[in-house]
Amino acid sequence: MQSNQMQALSGKELEYIADSISNEDLLIKQLAATAGTTQNSTVQGICVQQIQSHTHHMDMLVQLLHQHQQYAPTQPQ
Amino acid sequence: MYAQNGTPFMADEDLLNTVLADLKRTVREYTTAATESNCPTVRRVFNDLTMDTLRLQGELYNQMSQMNMYTAPGKALRQDVDKQIQAAQQTQQKCQQFVREKTGGAGAYNQASNVPLHQANVQHNNGSYYM
Repeated sequence: MQSNQMQALSGKELEYIADSISNEDLLIKQLAATAGTTQNSTVQGICVQQIQSHTHHMDMLVQLLHQHQQYAPTQPQ
Repeated sequence: MYAQNGTPFMADEDLLNTVLADLKRTVREYTTAATESNCPTVRRVFNDLTMDTLRLQGELYNQMSQMNMYTAPGKALRQDVDKQIQAAQQTQQKCQQFVREKTGGAGAYNQASNVPLHQANVQHNNGSYYM
């Protein structure tokens, strides 16, 4: 990612990132619960694969917050 | 996660359907977030997440379909398809006419179309233009 593209997050962007983290969290938990109860190894395999992808998504979103942290003003503008 | 009677909390099919529904909702939300992003970096991440979540939804759908956990919707009838084609052609013709009227034919519909030429296109050079 190029730093010259980086801008402070808007309030809306921050809300979308927070909502997205919540969505990924829910998906990971649903998949983990399914993987933990199923007797079907195919279903378990699908869930484990999907968990890996959604964990990566969550990491991307958290990283996005960290990248913009320094650009956020400390006073309302 | 078992109920007290020893049976699973929910059937695999129901659990995966819940995940599939949430994946569809998440794709929509990522798309909205991308279109409303101001920072190019944020937009790119939401765009990437849209595409990857769409891929995951498609993969899960296919896997569920192979395990007979998802009933594909019924096929549209030929007469309904024909009706829609007729309506779409009328829409196309009216749209092209509108563009010609507004632009005087300049550069209108220059791009190659992937559908056969129909009457409206044939008449393109003979029509009278306004404006």
